[in-house]
Amino acid sequence: MELIANLATGFAVALTVKNIAYCFVGVLLGTLIGVLPGIGPVATIAMLLPITFNLPPESALIMLAGIYYGAQYGGSTSAILVNLPGESSSAVTTIDGYQMARQGRAGPALAIAAIGSFFAGCVATVLVAFFAPQLADLASEFAQADYFSLMVLGLVAAVVLARGSVLKAMAMVLLGLLLGMVGTDVMDSTPRFTFGIPELTDGIGPAIVAMGVFGVAEVIANLEQRGERRVFAAQITRLLPSKDDLRRSWKAILRGTGLGSMLGILPGGGALLASFAAYTLEKRIAKEPQRFGQGAIEGVAAPESANNAGAQTSFVPLLTLGIPTNPVMALMFGAMMIHGIAPGPNVINERPELFWGMISSMWIGNLLLVVLNLPLIGLWIKLLTVPYRLLYPAIILFCCIGVFSVNNSAYEVGMLAVFGLLGYLFLKLGCEPAPFLLGFILGPMMDENLRRALLLSHGDFSVFVTRPISATLLALAAVLLLLTIAPAVRRTREEAFAQ
Amino acid sequence: MILRVALLLAAKALQATVCLAFVVFGALSAAAQSYPSKPIKIVVPFPPAGTTDLLARTLAQKLNEAFGKPVVVENRPGAGGNIGADVVAHAPADGYTLLLATVSTHGINPTLYPNMPYDAIKDFAPVALVGRVSNVLMVNPKLAANSMKELIALAKAQPGKFMFASSGNGTSLHLSGELFATMAQLDITHVPYKGSAPALADVMNGQVPFMFDNLPSALPHIKAGKLRPLAVTMSKRIVQLPNVPTVAEAGLPGFEAVSWFGLMAPARTPGEVVRRLNSTVNKILSNAEMRQRLIDLGTEPATMTPGQFSEHVKSEIEKWGKVVKTSGATVDQ
Repeated sequence: MELIANLATGFAVALTVKNIAYCFVGVLLGTLIGVLPGIGPVATIAMLLPITFNLPPESALIMLAGIYYGAQYGGSTSAILVNLPGESSSAVTTIDGYQMARQGRAGPALAIAAIGSFFAGCVATVLVAFFAPQLADLASEFAQADYFSLMVLGLVAAVVLARGSVLKAMAMVLLGLLLGMVGTDVMDSTPRFTFGIPELTDGIGPAIVAMGVFGVAEVIANLEQRGERRVFAAQITRLLPSKDDLRRSWKAILRGTGLGSMLGILPGGGALLASFAAYTLEKRIAKEPQRFGQGAIEGVAAPESANNAGAQTSFVPLLTLGIPTNPVMALMFGAMMIHGIAPGPNVINERPELFWGMISSMWIGNLLLVVLNLPLIGLWIKLLTVPYRLLYPAIILFCCIGVFSVNNSAYEVGMLAVFGLLGYLFLKLGCEPAPFLLGFILGPMMDENLRRALLLSHGDFSVFVTRPISATLLALAAVLLLLTIAPAVRRTREEAFAQ
Repeated sequence: MILRVALLLAAKALQATVCLAFVVFGALSAAAQSYPSKPIKIVVPFPPAGTTDLLARTLAQKLNEAFGKPVVVENRPGAGGNIGADVVAHAPADGYTLLLATVSTHGINPTLYPNMPYDAIKDFAPVALVGRVSNVLMVNPKLAANSMKELIALAKAQPGKFMFASSGNGTSLHLSGELFATMAQLDITHVPYKGSAPALADVMNGQVPFMFDNLPSALPHIKAGKLRPLAVTMSKRIVQLPNVPTVAEAGLPGFEAVSWFGLMAPARTPGEVVRRLNSTVNKILSNAEMRQRLIDLGTEPATMTPGQFSEHVKSEIEKWGKVVKTSGATVDQ
């Protein structure tokens, strides 16, 4: 009953005309930057931060939150239609979403992404409302050793995720790990591969790598194919998914929502990790895993549900523990400080109208997004049917603006170009960029947590198996690895017997 | 004949130089009088939404009102603040590019980094101090230490095994811990994190017994009872935690570790521009609303003349230099 009273407080705040308007502005902006490759929520929120000075705190936070989860909706559009992830968390959607578009099924792909996102958004809102304090406790149970084991599981998943050659996937993960090491070692400040360049001392930003190997590389590759149009707008015959699509997707949406909600709470988690994990899970448990990569609708439904759920539940540690778990949440932390609100356990008691208002606005925002997105799919497609001689320079321009605006650094724009060329090389060599990106993101986190866990245990390695959470995660990783290798082993044995 | 030509040329050159000098001087003085005639940029050497950034944005808004010209904040994070500071060190010395300098860029880094891209003293004209932030010594509430003396006793009981967390190697929080260890003669191990949020989380869940953190990020957790404050690092008690003693009061006389923020211009910025900026900033800081806003951000408003600020920077570099050297911390590039 208390929950209903709380939600009533929240909706009273969120349903004022002014706050609905700010929510609308937030999700509209979020969708737009989500569709446009290059500009992400981090850059957008950072740029809008000064404007929120003069807004009431509820309106400011409702708008900024809308940008983050709105971007998760928009990101799928360009992933499906042009094979460019609008957001790095939509990178994995390109795998099957783009294939669906090539088969003329862009409409159902876009629709299922929107439906999955809406469902996940609603569930995540309820989860946040019901379980925020309990969920926060769960996350605070995680110690260094547990994080390390979680990263191991993530890396194993990265290999499983890959199509084709396991060897190439492993090589890509390793290359990602290696590049992730660039920067200053957190534990004793040893510079790694920085070559005396100050811009490299804090490592390479994941946004640069993601935009380079996915975005810029794809543009270069498309330029090769002179005359052949690869936007499948013209081929969209039906928008709504068929009964068969829905039958295949609903479980994937449920699983994606569940997984995304859980991963969103963990530090370092959020939308990106959630989408990768959800895709891997679907591929693992699918009856016909060979359909993945060929336009399986589950491969769109699961990650798109997961990234939206993850985006929303990542507010939980910020609002209940005062701990930002990803860069977007760090900006939200700052936005709250600007208004003299100290994020932390007190927000829920001291500013109930703010806490519940924000949560209620998420549900309203999700509704607005579906209303906005389903009819607007046609418009987004039009945006992407702009002739390539205009579209490509625009995409590259947005990527450059996006990268530049994060740190105001021209050096990083140069790095974007280098990663674009590297991504093109990967394409030519038939290597998947997804495991590379995951290795790149997880590597530094894994290194940091491993070394800190050992420092805290005074060098005792047993901490990884004596802590229940860590032991469970490592066991899961081992099982997953065995499942991946097993068919290969079986095949070789069969071949051996055949001879 | 040759001599006459040479003399004539020399005279002409002298005349030209004098003329040029007049023109330059005249222009400079006119520039100082009409300052500011175009938008001013404040470079923040840290990412958006941190304490430094929020302070810069609050100040920029007030400077904008005072000057009637746009004052924009540009974040240039990286290399512990060195990238942003270096940008300003090499910017034109006209007062239109300023740096929000901190204890890191102009106190710790000059000793911490063996290869500094700029000279913290020679490349800058200190303009005005803006605020000071206290650090807080905090422990996990379950730890059997209700005072700093009890904490020191606990740490002494297990030499080499007792640990403290910080937001990263060479930060003012790490070095506050090192200064604490040196003064209390402790053998403790430093556990660095990437930023203060994960470090706070691990002290709260009991992985690490204690840490120093900046007041703004620490305060909400202290108020919620998740962390127990034992001492503050300023030389006097702070308004936000009036019942918490200073480290000096609690048993280490002479201990002081303060994070400070101030405006700096490139060296050779005209003195008149520096004075104009200093008086404007000091006037802003005397406004009650502005003071309250800074206090809400966990910052104590503080003013100095350019000369005092310059002396302050020199003494900070000397003080932190000793701490860095004792701790053995270094960041190669």
